[in-house]
Amino acid sequence: MFKVENLHFTYPKNKEETIKGIDFEIREGEVFGLLGPSGVGKSTTQKILIKILQDFEGSITYKGKNLKDYGRDFYEEIGVGFEIPVHFSKLTAMENLQFFMKLYKNHEEPDELLKKLGLYEDRNKKVGEFSKGMKVRMNFVKALLNKPKMLFLDEPTAGLDPKNARIIKNLIREYRDQGGTVILTTHLMNDVEELCDRVAFMADGKIVEINSPKNLKLQHGDRKVEVEYEMGEKLESQMFSLDDLKEDEEFFRVVKNHRIITMHSKETTLDDIFIDITGGESSEES
Amino acid sequence: MIFLSTLPGVRAVKNLRVLFMGEMQRLQRYHIIAASLVVAVIWIGVLHFTDVDDVTSIFPLLLFLDATSMSITLIGVSMFFEREEHTLKALFVSPITKGEYMISKIIGNIVSNLQTLVILYLYAWFFKEINLNIFLLVFYVIVISVFHSMIGFLLAYRSKSFTELLTGVLKYMFIFLIPVVLEQVGVITGDLLTNLMYALPTKAALLLLNSTTNGVETWEVLYGIAYLIGLSLLLSVVIRKGFEEFVAKESGI
Repeated sequence: MFKVENLHFTYPKNKEETIKGIDFEIREGEVFGLLGPSGVGKSTTQKILIKILQDFEGSITYKGKNLKDYGRDFYEEIGVGFEIPVHFSKLTAMENLQFFMKLYKNHEEPDELLKKLGLYEDRNKKVGEFSKGMKVRMNFVKALLNKPKMLFLDEPTAGLDPKNARIIKNLIREYRDQGGTVILTTHLMNDVEELCDRVAFMADGKIVEINSPKNLKLQHGDRKVEVEYEMGEKLESQMFSLDDLKEDEEFFRVVKNHRIITMHSKETTLDDIFIDITGGESSEES
Repeated sequence: MIFLSTLPGVRAVKNLRVLFMGEMQRLQRYHIIAASLVVAVIWIGVLHFTDVDDVTSIFPLLLFLDATSMSITLIGVSMFFEREEHTLKALFVSPITKGEYMISKIIGNIVSNLQTLVILYLYAWFFKEINLNIFLLVFYVIVISVFHSMIGFLLAYRSKSFTELLTGVLKYMFIFLIPVVLEQVGVITGDLLTNLMYALPTKAALLLLNSTTNGVETWEVLYGIAYLIGLSLLLSVVIRKGFEEFVAKESGI
């Protein structure tokens, strides 16, 4: 879908490059996570990909064609879901959608999208009267309004309760399953783990790692399993290597002779990997 | 029909229509049109309480104040709301051009100014005496609105806050508007000062409006038209470049 080669970018008033030669590819039909601490260039990379910043060096192709050769029709192809609400607060939800809808050649029926996101009943309410969670869901409705082939999502579940976050995540998966491509930025590693097929970690204007969440956890984690079991009235725990597990007599003795309370493989968390790879805390980027 | 909609010109016209209708809807919902009507009512009050029956001579001055300061304020306020609500971000990732966005706002401004012109003219027509060339007046109000819309864009994207925007509007009024008004009412006199006034675009604007009622020289009318249109074109180039940077800063995710 997108192929980025040797991308460099410097803001006009800066001396130092913000993007220092990055290469990556976003494959059609995948959810691609772009992660990293604040100020490492995630936002700049996305601004370049959505053609807001034009004066970059290197090559970016979208569907095999130079990104710079696309005109306004590029925006027919993409949907952008912002983290902050982007609505006219004194217009109703329906009026907001009808305004934007008319700018596109193709569009979804707003009623259907509002129903999916649980906002249909409030369609005639001014968006200014919406709760934060409702505004976040409206952002998602707006991103899907033009039947995009590619979605750029920034913190799509931020500020949502678990039920509504689940609805959004299911819709992202549904969108991906129907062939849509997603580039996702989030600091919620749970979302990354649930949604992303591959993730790129950025640090200091460079991409330092690209892989699937599962592979990252395998690479960075310990191949061990911790077994917690009852020993009389006390709880004991023991660690076993996953590599030798089938020949580990002690493991089988514990499993056969004791009541097992918990058994966990000790792969590392994406949060730990994030800190390990990027050298920073997982947080939002400005 | 589908083929037609893919032509660049047809697309631009369609987008302009959608953006303009949206602009008018928002000007109404955000009570900006209402504020403009309140100002029109104040101008009617001025006309009403004027001793003279024939308001032809003061009519251009009222339109001058409206078409200049209100044009800047309308653009500034509507863009301020768009920045505040981050809707600019959403607009610039949709298939519109920055030019279409700006033109739709200028047309909205022209409509608002012409609305005031019509209200004032109807009042003067029915309740006072007025004798001026209304068609020329419409044309000149459009020229003045376009130029001052450009000033509105410039102030809107250079201001970081609403206070800064209002300060900018006030500065413009003190430097460009008030001296011209003072000259019109005879407070500022003398060849040097009155000649210097020709450097002000507001002087050109007032000359055009005055030309619909009394004996403004032909060269002054031509200077007024050429100066305002020329400055508008120049400003459009300057603004376009600055606007690109403004959009890059305001947009994105």
